[in-house]
Amino acid sequence: MEKIIHLVGLNHRTAGVDVREKFALTNVADFEKSLLVACPLREVLALSTCNRVEILVVADNERCAGFDLAEAVLAHWAETCQGDPETLGAHTYRHTGLDAVTHLFCVAASLDSMVMGEPQILGQLKTSYRKAVETGTARVIINRLLHKSFSVAKRVRTETAIASSAVSISYAAVELAKKIFGELSGKTAMLVGAGEMAELAATHLLASGIEKLFICNRTYARAQELARTMHGEAVFFEDMVEHLKGVDIVISSTGSPTAIIRAKDIREVLKKRRNRAMFFIDIAVPRDIDPDVNGLDNVYLYDIDDLKEVVEENMSARQGEAVKARAIVDIETQAFASWLKALALQPTITDLLGRAEEVAGRELAKTLKRLGAVDDETRQALEVLVSSVSRKLLHEPICFLKRRTREEGTAERFIDMTRRIFNLDADQVSPDAHLDRRTLEDETIDCECCRDDALQDPGDEPQKPEGKD
Amino acid sequence: MALPDLLPILVIGLYFLGTVLFVVGSALRQELLKNAALGLAALGFALHTFDLAQLAAVADAAQALTAGRFLFCLLGWGILFIFLLLWWRLKLKFLAVVAMPLALVLYIAANATAGVSAKLPPMLSGLFFLLHIGTLFASMALLAMAFGAGLAFLHLEKRIKIKAGLKTFQKDMPSLDTFDRVNHFVSLAGFPLYTLGLASGYVWAWLSARRVFSLDPKEIMALIILVLYAYLFHQRLAMGWRGRKPASMAICVFLLTVLSMLGINFLVPTTFHGFKP
Repeated sequence: MEKIIHLVGLNHRTAGVDVREKFALTNVADFEKSLLVACPLREVLALSTCNRVEILVVADNERCAGFDLAEAVLAHWAETCQGDPETLGAHTYRHTGLDAVTHLFCVAASLDSMVMGEPQILGQLKTSYRKAVETGTARVIINRLLHKSFSVAKRVRTETAIASSAVSISYAAVELAKKIFGELSGKTAMLVGAGEMAELAATHLLASGIEKLFICNRTYARAQELARTMHGEAVFFEDMVEHLKGVDIVISSTGSPTAIIRAKDIREVLKKRRNRAMFFIDIAVPRDIDPDVNGLDNVYLYDIDDLKEVVEENMSARQGEAVKARAIVDIETQAFASWLKALALQPTITDLLGRAEEVAGRELAKTLKRLGAVDDETRQALEVLVSSVSRKLLHEPICFLKRRTREEGTAERFIDMTRRIFNLDADQVSPDAHLDRRTLEDETIDCECCRDDALQDPGDEPQKPEGKD
Repeated sequence: MALPDLLPILVIGLYFLGTVLFVVGSALRQELLKNAALGLAALGFALHTFDLAQLAAVADAAQALTAGRFLFCLLGWGILFIFLLLWWRLKLKFLAVVAMPLALVLYIAANATAGVSAKLPPMLSGLFFLLHIGTLFASMALLAMAFGAGLAFLHLEKRIKIKAGLKTFQKDMPSLDTFDRVNHFVSLAGFPLYTLGLASGYVWAWLSARRVFSLDPKEIMALIILVLYAYLFHQRLAMGWRGRKPASMAICVFLLTVLSMLGINFLVPTTFHGFKP
């Protein structure tokens, strides 16, 4: 059954911080599940960060004939966020088919980020994907698409200079802090919310000579953990405001749906610190810090959109590298397109038999070489032997696949599994793959036949299949 | 032509070149040009010092000290002196943009007012001069620096506050904190000097005329300035004012002193302070 991929989303270019705040998905897993119920979809993956929301859906083409899938997804999204569907529609983009694939690859490779080449987005995408796998809304196509997008990101990072001087938003913020405070040595900073972005900001601050770093998180253990690696001091979330009187720079990136730092608190804090300047950097969406804080004297508040202005300059230098990166994305999109096309029963059977024939042919050639001169009869007998062994070995798997494809909704899973088991798409599998999921240490995954191939020792006896003598 | 005749032209030339070079150096972001400009200004300052010493050494000291040329010359010198002090203490090269043109203008004004002299009675002694003119001029020079730093602070602060992004010029400027430290220094050192200057004036008025207050426009103005300066001093030190408010206040106080110095001395008939011929 032919599949169709849709992607709807909004980002920092299409929507201002207010709209992004309004339509940010606070509980992605629930959204994904409810979307599967609301629309005739096969797979869903949603990504919601401070800069973007991306909703990737996969559906059967036939089931959705005459149904505007993108519109239905938008309607459900607006309903979830209790927002106006028209406002949402005006600020979103929609991609279908390979355009959606290209877009996702660009997002993963940070070509679509506010600061091109920043590394955070990949981590956020990985987290979203992991959650979608746990929720069970990511299946064959999204699995493949996401794994591909991670490898595209890796290629872009290693083959282009796009991330070499990754000037991130937090780095730009540090520059601004220097304009306010002069030297940062002797200054104190606090990170509220210990996400990946916050860690990056902390690294920049420490590199610029910040004397003390407080780390505040709703989960105190997380704050402690980060404090250990960053040589900072963990602070209880409840004590945050109390600590602010000694803090010059605050970087906030929590997932809180409401403001956690309010203007009236800061007014009190300012009195206690005798109006010494404070710099707030709010990289969270929805915003963590009440915008009125910027109205106070000697307080400077920058949210994520304001920082965009600051970082706009170093964008231009990276545009050249972006062209190279785009080329990589295009190549990978085409590779994905061929995979998608092959994700049907017939091409898989053809590939499977082709692979079997190829292996049989190769092994036969090796054996013939070892045997030396043989007569035609023996040669033909051997050819028939290897060919029938490989075909008969594949007979049961092919029958199994045919049976499964008659069932609703399981075809792609088994076809994909088969393609992966036999590596029909000739993927390069890194030795580190799924390292985090391994339970056995140092277990070699090479099988005997691989060793035989690798050693290429002509003196070895041909391997005998076990149990067939 | 003897050196004393050439001196004013040399000083004006050096200050002028220094100012132009500094502005060009800032525009082109050339540290070398800026340093050359400061070198020229320092040389001008040395000659300026020599010029002042020469004036003070003239036999008829009292008359020389009340001469318009000497007073303006001294004020210009004081401003440059304070600038050099700030440059040394706070590494604040940026304020040369204010100090050098001011020193230049005052030095030119000094030479333009060569024939004018204040109608001061000959009772002025060296001590009184030091207490009254010296302290007031020092505090005015400080205020001039606070004025420059205040304008720069307000400009930079606004750019940061409204998130307009920073252009190359603003990126080259010192930080907000540095400008605020100038303001702090000026409040801390300038206010006591100004108070001392004013107090010595009133003491002298009482000694000479047996009355403290003569409703002289200059005196009224000076009192207004003193009140404002005191407010700035108090808010800054006791209430912890920082940033925009003290910067604006210092700008106001400086403008009032300029008004008092130029407007009243030259245009309004006053008892002691008039330069009006």
